[in-house]
Amino acid sequence: MASLRRLTVVFLSAFGVATATTGYATFYASRQAIVQLVDRRIATTSSALLSEAPAGDATAILARIDAFSRRRESGDIGFELRDAAGRRLGGNVTVTRALPAGFSTLRISDRIAGLSAGRVQVRDAGRGLRLVTAIETEPIDGLASARRRYALTGFGVIALIVVAGTVAFSILVRRRIQEVRATAEAIIDGDLARRVPVEGGGVFAEQAATFNRMLDRIAALVEGIRNVGGDVAHDLRTPLARLRSRLARIVASAPDAATEQELEAALAQCDEIMAIFAAILRIAEIESGDRAVAFVPVDLTAVAQDVTETMATVAEESGHHLEIHAAMPAVVDGDRQLIAQAAFNLVENALRHTPPGSTVRLSVTEVDGTALLEVSDDGPGIAPADRNTARRRFGRLDASRNRDGHGLGLTLVDAVARFHRGTLDLGDAAPGLVATLRFPQR
Amino acid sequence: MNLLIVEDDEGYAEALRLELGALDHRISVATTGPAALTAVEQDDFDAIILDRMLPAMDGAGVVRRLRERGHRLPVLMLTALGRSAEKVDGLEAGADDYVVKPTPATEIDARLRALLRARGWADDSGDDTLRAGDILVSPGQHRAWRDGRVLDLAKLEFGLLTELARHAGSFLTRAMLIERVWGYDFEPTTNIVDAQVRSLRRKLMAVGGDDPIVTKRGVGYMLRT
Repeated sequence: MASLRRLTVVFLSAFGVATATTGYATFYASRQAIVQLVDRRIATTSSALLSEAPAGDATAILARIDAFSRRRESGDIGFELRDAAGRRLGGNVTVTRALPAGFSTLRISDRIAGLSAGRVQVRDAGRGLRLVTAIETEPIDGLASARRRYALTGFGVIALIVVAGTVAFSILVRRRIQEVRATAEAIIDGDLARRVPVEGGGVFAEQAATFNRMLDRIAALVEGIRNVGGDVAHDLRTPLARLRSRLARIVASAPDAATEQELEAALAQCDEIMAIFAAILRIAEIESGDRAVAFVPVDLTAVAQDVTETMATVAEESGHHLEIHAAMPAVVDGDRQLIAQAAFNLVENALRHTPPGSTVRLSVTEVDGTALLEVSDDGPGIAPADRNTARRRFGRLDASRNRDGHGLGLTLVDAVARFHRGTLDLGDAAPGLVATLRFPQR
Repeated sequence: MNLLIVEDDEGYAEALRLELGALDHRISVATTGPAALTAVEQDDFDAIILDRMLPAMDGAGVVRRLRERGHRLPVLMLTALGRSAEKVDGLEAGADDYVVKPTPATEIDARLRALLRARGWADDSGDDTLRAGDILVSPGQHRAWRDGRVLDLAKLEFGLLTELARHAGSFLTRAMLIERVWGYDFEPTTNIVDAQVRSLRRKLMAVGGDDPIVTKRGVGYMLRT
């Protein structure tokens, strides 16, 4: 489909061409009409004049010219009589150039006194005499240019109105589209309650209302799905907790070491499932937006230091190097708990998916009103095509399917980032993966 | 301990009654707020385990009423997961601690013991030095010693030792330590408490002496007195 801008340009060009053509045609037609009328009057007048004098009698013809010049109805007509050699014999005008026989057009450059534009006829008056009859086509001086000016002004005003109207219309349409777009963007950002403003009546209002009803429906469905996930996790936690405490009781009185080991493994699996449920409920809690009230100034550097100190022993034991590069405080408005949890998830991911000997680095920086918390490693990284899968719910990559973890880690980090109006980017640390959390600052 | 469980989910109340009973507690169960208030007037309980969500009068309302009537016994609030706001107004109403449902009886037991011991002391938040065996901790000075020798501890190690010393002789669970030392309301996938205890233990033993930290599997850690 053509863009709104292109459509506007095409419409305005077509309109311009049509207006100009019509204007010129009108101008030309009226000019032709005047020329025809004037030519007819010249023909009538010169015939009348010559009919009243014997052909070839210069004196009689000059007398007629004199008489015609005095008459009220032909006083505006110019006459001149020349002999066969082209010598001027008399008349009330003086022609300065040789004119062709028949009708032709006079211009201001012909320098005939009192005539700016006109038509002229040269006809034979007998015995080589030639009668020149000239009539002005402009009853007042500069009529043609005035007419051109009026036409241009008139059509110009019309064109201006149309252009202004089209531009106003296009702005209106653009504004409506932008309202819809702003709403869509807000919903992408997680504000599911946002709606398109419905103003006045007409198709735009109807469209906005329909769009809003669609959003209501989507919001209801999303709410339903969210509740189902949360409810399932919630309801399963109680029986699971009972199962866990029963297993714990049996472990305490296990008859032999082998049974005890089996039971310990079962307990560990229980804990893993509990952790998945905890993560699901945590994500649901974040996405419901209920925690936003608890926003306080949080120093990312302090969070990163806590995470580094906490994970230092774990990293050491798994043969990783854990480093921190965070010199200056970087304060953002946020939820300390969630930011810390996101940082833990990123560091845990890095430790889990890189071989012993790898270096995991946390860094905190500030760039142009954005605070960055980055976790990078020099491990195998994630191929660009797989990076979106990695952050999807339970989106585990084939390479990691057999490792620990439940596939909700990055989903949670992503939710935390969006909750803070920030972003999570997965990039190439060449070699390795760099996960960047961006938080907008005040 | 003589405990009152206030919980409208009878299945969960019964499971808790059995499990806590197995840990040598005497248990009474009330299913509504008003019934709980009546029970407190009639019996001498050591502590109350109170569900946040109850029909008619909710958990926060029950605590508030108890405190208004001058009952100072420890109250442990049970909240649903993912409802952070509930914890806050439970504590504001006068509850002493909270756990997320469903919680193993061992966790509840450990928390109640810690609460009861804390009641025995006066104000322990001041500058007083804490003592546990040959370990001295000065929260005010941010320093710790073992057998007279200064311990070089990182921030969280110091926090962990302080918390263990404050409750020396009681077991603290992982969840309690994460809440109190780190201030987190979540448990990272990695067992960060175990890791931190390992590094603290290394530093405590590096200056000589036996391991002062007792580990009880499935429960938590305790600093010997």
